[in-house]
Amino acid sequence: MTRYLLGQALSFLVTLWVVLTLVFLGMRALPGDAATILGGMDASAEQIAVIRERLGLAGSLGVQYVGFIGDVARGDLGDSLRERRPVTAVLLDRLPVTLALAALAFVISLAIGVGLGLLAGLKPGGLFDRVTTLFATAALALPEFWFGFLLILLFAVNLGWFPVLGLPPTGLSWQASWHLLLPAVTLAIPRSAQVARLTRAQVLEQRRADYVRTARSKGLAGHAVARHIAANALPGVLPLLALELGGLLTGTIVVEQVFGLPGLGATILGAISARDYPVVQGVTLLAVVVYVGVNWVADLLQLVADPRLRTA
Amino acid sequence: MGRAVFGAALFAVVLLATLLAPVLRPVDPLEPNYRATYAGISAEHPLGTDRLGRDVLSRALAGGRVSLSIALSATALTILLGGSLGALAAAVGGAVDTVLSRAFDSLLAFPGFLLVLLVVAILGGGAAQTVLALGVAGSPVYFRLARAYARSELRSEYVTAALALGASRPRQVLRHALPNFAGSILVQGASTAATFLLVEASLSYLGLGVPLPTPSWGNVLQESRAFLTRQPWAAVGPGLFLAAASLSFQFVADGMRDRLDRRS
Repeated sequence: MTRYLLGQALSFLVTLWVVLTLVFLGMRALPGDAATILGGMDASAEQIAVIRERLGLAGSLGVQYVGFIGDVARGDLGDSLRERRPVTAVLLDRLPVTLALAALAFVISLAIGVGLGLLAGLKPGGLFDRVTTLFATAALALPEFWFGFLLILLFAVNLGWFPVLGLPPTGLSWQASWHLLLPAVTLAIPRSAQVARLTRAQVLEQRRADYVRTARSKGLAGHAVARHIAANALPGVLPLLALELGGLLTGTIVVEQVFGLPGLGATILGAISARDYPVVQGVTLLAVVVYVGVNWVADLLQLVADPRLRTA
Repeated sequence: MGRAVFGAALFAVVLLATLLAPVLRPVDPLEPNYRATYAGISAEHPLGTDRLGRDVLSRALAGGRVSLSIALSATALTILLGGSLGALAAAVGGAVDTVLSRAFDSLLAFPGFLLVLLVVAILGGGAAQTVLALGVAGSPVYFRLARAYARSELRSEYVTAALALGASRPRQVLRHALPNFAGSILVQGASTAATFLLVEASLSYLGLGVPLPTPSWGNVLQESRAFLTRQPWAAVGPGLFLAAASLSFQFVADGMRDRLDRRS
């Protein structure tokens, strides 16, 4: 068990290192020399050299690489070229909006997905099951941003229940959750479809297990059997939930754009078009660390939930 | 029945509509008409016109051609890329297998949409770049599938029999193992195509995919966002086409998967 955990921690670090290397190489493969572009038309050679130094683009590739890894290990992601302050400060500014949106979306998709999946799986072939299956397929095919348009048209424009765009002037507060509800639902519906499908499949698999037949034959009430089935089916859904939660940090990019929210997605899009490479790099690293980290935690949770996996 | 056939029929309708658009609806999707900007729904313009007076229905149909070609080529690319390398890793084994597996695993450390976005940021926007970005981002799934299927098939008795008859390794993989898992890969391909359609639309919506004025479902919808409250049909209509196309692939994938499951 300890060995397994150590192995997992090691592979986590190796993955981070590989990703750092990919990001390092990717940033240097970007079109045009960043220093020349940022210097502008009439920058002197000295000015370009200074910019190059600041971007960590001076010296041989090997020297740049060692410097880059060292900086990241110390938590130094460089300075934003556009905002002229540390990238970490930019990220910390923008992160709360995205985190709030992602958390809300995750809770909604979890409730809808697991709820529908359980109910459908417990009575397969019934009307509810068929409606759920249809919903799950249709929701998967739903273009996210277009679904956002429809919600805006219906709930914000026609009914006027929700604000159309942005956050309240007070910024992120309790009042803001009202502003975040439509974008969160936009994110949650397609994601809940996948959760519902997998939950249903897991429940169907458990229904065939011997312990269910035993429980039924000794006359256990339906809801008690259902509880056993749910307890055994849900750990199987954990990995998918982790993928969804981890992916939400950048999964919000499109929806932030539709609803005009100033989060991490807006930050990376702005940085890409302004060639603010340190910020692109910072958001990427943060997103990958969270993505890999959440998946790792889900693996651990699965070990906790299912003792059979621990013997391996 | 039903779902696979329904999906295929739906796809045929969408495909025919976009392919026959120049005949069915001979209005130039790029031709502005400044006297008819923001026209409402009428017999002449079933989905109205946009801010330049271009016919939205024409743009949606022409955009569908672009979006469908991108999604389908990207699906073919991702299957070929991931699938062939996966089969190679299984057939050769050893160091080749280890290196390839690690390489594709590292791609999986990126959340999918971020990976597509970064590749497009490096390559620049455009149809070919989008195909490449999607192809790379989707490939780890096919690498893993093909590698797993090929490994298990290569261990089976009929492959051993072929080996005993003197079949070379490539022949064992291509002639004997591949036909036994190609179906499962193609089923997965249908659902990948559904996803790619949506991702391409998202990229174009963000202005990072197909550049204007060439219409694609994503950028037609992006343009409609600016006058969403004024011309809701300009957003709802093209989105319905996109959703129908994606749904058709999803139905085909589901229906075929059920059939494969029942057979095994």
